[in-house]
Amino acid sequence: MTAGVRNLETGLKLGRPTARVPAWLTLPVGVGAAIIFAWVIVALTVHWWAPFEPLQSVGTRLTGPSWQHLAGTDALGRDVLTRTLYGTRSSLPIAGIVIAVAVVIGCAIGAIAGLFGGWVDSFLMRISDITLAFPPILLAMTVTASLGPGLRNALFAMVVVWWPVYARLLRAQVISVKQQDHVTAAVSMGAGRGRLLVHHILPLSMTPILVNATMDFGQVVLLAASLSFIGLGALPPSPEWGSMISEGSVRFYEWWIAAAPGLAILTVVLGFNFLGDGVRDFLDPRTRRR
Amino acid sequence: MNDGKVKTGRYVAALVVAVAVVAAITAACGGDDDDSGGSGGGNNDRPLVIARDMDINSMDPSRAYCDTCQIYLTATYDTLIGLDPKDNKTFVARVAEKWEGNADRTQYTFRLNKKAKFADGTPLEAKDVKWSFERLANVKGSAAYFMDGITSIETPDAQTVIVKLAASDSSFLAKVNASYAGIINSKVATANGASNAKDADTTDKAEPWFLKNSAGSGPYTLASYTEGAEIRLARNESYWGDKPALKEVIIKQVKDAVTQRQQVETGDADIAMQIDPDTAKKIKNKNVTIKEVPSFNFVYIALSPGAKDNKVDLNPKIREAVRAAVDYDGIIQVTLGGGGKKQAAPIPNGFLGTKNLALPKRDTAKAKQLLKDGGQPNGFEIDAIYPNVNVYGVDFNTMMQKIQADLGEVGIKLKLQPVEFTVWVEKIRGDGIPMTAVYFAPDHTDPIQYVQYFGMVPGAPWASRAGSKDKPIVNQAEVDLSAKALAASSDEEREKLYESIGKEMIADAIILPIVNPNLVLAYRSDLEGMHYSACCNLEVQRLKRK
Repeated sequence: MTAGVRNLETGLKLGRPTARVPAWLTLPVGVGAAIIFAWVIVALTVHWWAPFEPLQSVGTRLTGPSWQHLAGTDALGRDVLTRTLYGTRSSLPIAGIVIAVAVVIGCAIGAIAGLFGGWVDSFLMRISDITLAFPPILLAMTVTASLGPGLRNALFAMVVVWWPVYARLLRAQVISVKQQDHVTAAVSMGAGRGRLLVHHILPLSMTPILVNATMDFGQVVLLAASLSFIGLGALPPSPEWGSMISEGSVRFYEWWIAAAPGLAILTVVLGFNFLGDGVRDFLDPRTRRR
Repeated sequence: MNDGKVKTGRYVAALVVAVAVVAAITAACGGDDDDSGGSGGGNNDRPLVIARDMDINSMDPSRAYCDTCQIYLTATYDTLIGLDPKDNKTFVARVAEKWEGNADRTQYTFRLNKKAKFADGTPLEAKDVKWSFERLANVKGSAAYFMDGITSIETPDAQTVIVKLAASDSSFLAKVNASYAGIINSKVATANGASNAKDADTTDKAEPWFLKNSAGSGPYTLASYTEGAEIRLARNESYWGDKPALKEVIIKQVKDAVTQRQQVETGDADIAMQIDPDTAKKIKNKNVTIKEVPSFNFVYIALSPGAKDNKVDLNPKIREAVRAAVDYDGIIQVTLGGGGKKQAAPIPNGFLGTKNLALPKRDTAKAKQLLKDGGQPNGFEIDAIYPNVNVYGVDFNTMMQKIQADLGEVGIKLKLQPVEFTVWVEKIRGDGIPMTAVYFAPDHTDPIQYVQYFGMVPGAPWASRAGSKDKPIVNQAEVDLSAKALAASSDEEREKLYESIGKEMIADAIILPIVNPNLVLAYRSDLEGMHYSACCNLEVQRLKRK
């Protein structure tokens, strides 16, 4: 029994022939993982090999892509490719932090709601309902606009937008796991609420959270870029994809200014979506191909 | 074979029908062309379309205060005197055929043209002038300050207006020339809720009526206005002066420069005046004429030593250091592709007294020395909070990033914080901002407005922003010189005085003008009479099609 459960949790292969490619590892998943891996490497190492400085004017302004400037130069003569590569250093950490904080806060609230039930549950869930009733971008805009522009405030705003998703998800899980036999058994053996939650309920409830978190990575990158695009996120002159696209949007005929960061956002969001599909198939036995 | 013949036959039949249809359509269209060509002046019957990002705050002449308002009001309301667009300096007769000021500029007399009449046929008389000026003052809109200092307006007969002022004001003619001082048909306006009484700011209820109607004597009348979409002007067929050529004029809301450019290129619009020089350079279309003309607008950075959040001792040496560290030519390249000029004082190039002022120049060695002399040898960090806007082709984010790089070279670190315009207004009117960037367009054609706004004189907004509300910075030389300039009767004398004021304002080093952008006029090549007017932006009555 215990072994079987553990296998479900960790997704270990259940007696499949070891030579075969696992079913969850499809082409899109591989591509997604490769894209994300590449971007992470870029974020970690770009300062060693980037062709130019991201904040310095290094060429004739507004020139199209050439061998010297593969993605052209912007209005201040900065290299668009270099800035795009450096952009990973704000976009990826932002997404990571927002998801991490939102998961922690959301799970804490969801677990409390699910475990205690009653008026605590109603109260917490109504708050999350209210938050979810706003369109995400609108709520994030309102929060950032009232706190003043800047990445830190944008980060806070995005956490405000995101936590209810995880809170609701975990609450539902907790409520369903709570009724399983092993929990009843633990209760009968005198386990306290804390022990119950940490040892008997959470391990079985985290799967959907993990899947959602992976899928949401791309969405957060997108939302962060949107906030920067309307001037509420990254402050100039930092190379952030959204603000770079915003700079390019007023220069329709110099398409390359927006093209490179746009492509970067596209690949990151796509990569995380592919990867998220893989993670879901990997962790969820029900969707696993037989 | 047989099969093939049948098919060929069908094709031939189809072809014949098609040719017939095309021929019929062509004939019909040709007929249309002939009609319009034959009637003479047909081109001018087609509506003229002006593509603009409109900033209308009101359609009521006493409340309006915007660039698009200037165009609209000039077309629909005649002013007492006009401005010659050839030199943007000389006043010309409009409703007033003669005017004069007394020796110390405390009294002005206007002699009205007997022919002048409103669009509804009622004659324009002295009482309408008096009523319009009093309403402008009492409704207390943004342009109400034009009428400050008037002690009385006398109307000895229907054609004479005498305005008496409390103090000398040599700029009064320029204010009367501004489009906000257009003459309103007092009878019609009063019947629709307008008032010129002292308490008109609360009792005047005519603003909604002005959204649908105009009540002026101008060459055009308001046909319709749809907020955020368009203003339609119809020719005033009984205009008392020279009849305008174009029958209908449409001012159409088009937000960005790129779309304005596309519409002028395709012919959807005839005129665009908000295209930046960079975008304009790319237009290679023989149907579109591009003219780059000097404008009277400028963009500046401002230093406020007295701002509440300021932590740096912004003494005059430090402020001079900032001036010397900025790469002006570089900024003009980066923001406007070279389509602008440097400007010496906060009085734009082309205004009286600016000819001989020394233009700012980059000198990093001097900047470093000044920083040392000012007590900040290692530079300092300062917040630069500015509105996140793009005006006259200058993108503030781009400009401020360049200034950040320039000042960084001498050790001054800017923390850039672009904010929404409304947030910025609240901040600047509240605690003040240590360093900011702003833009300015003239309200009328007299340089005194710049002293009253940027000068270190009591009552000027920037005097209290630079110092504090309770203790504005005051430069007594500017106070004395401007009083003399207001009382001066000859242009030579005023020119000299304004030059001295300009030098004082440069020495203040509170307002550091960065660029005086050129204005790009993009218009269809079949248009004649295109111009830029200092008082009125664009006078549509001067336009016609070839």
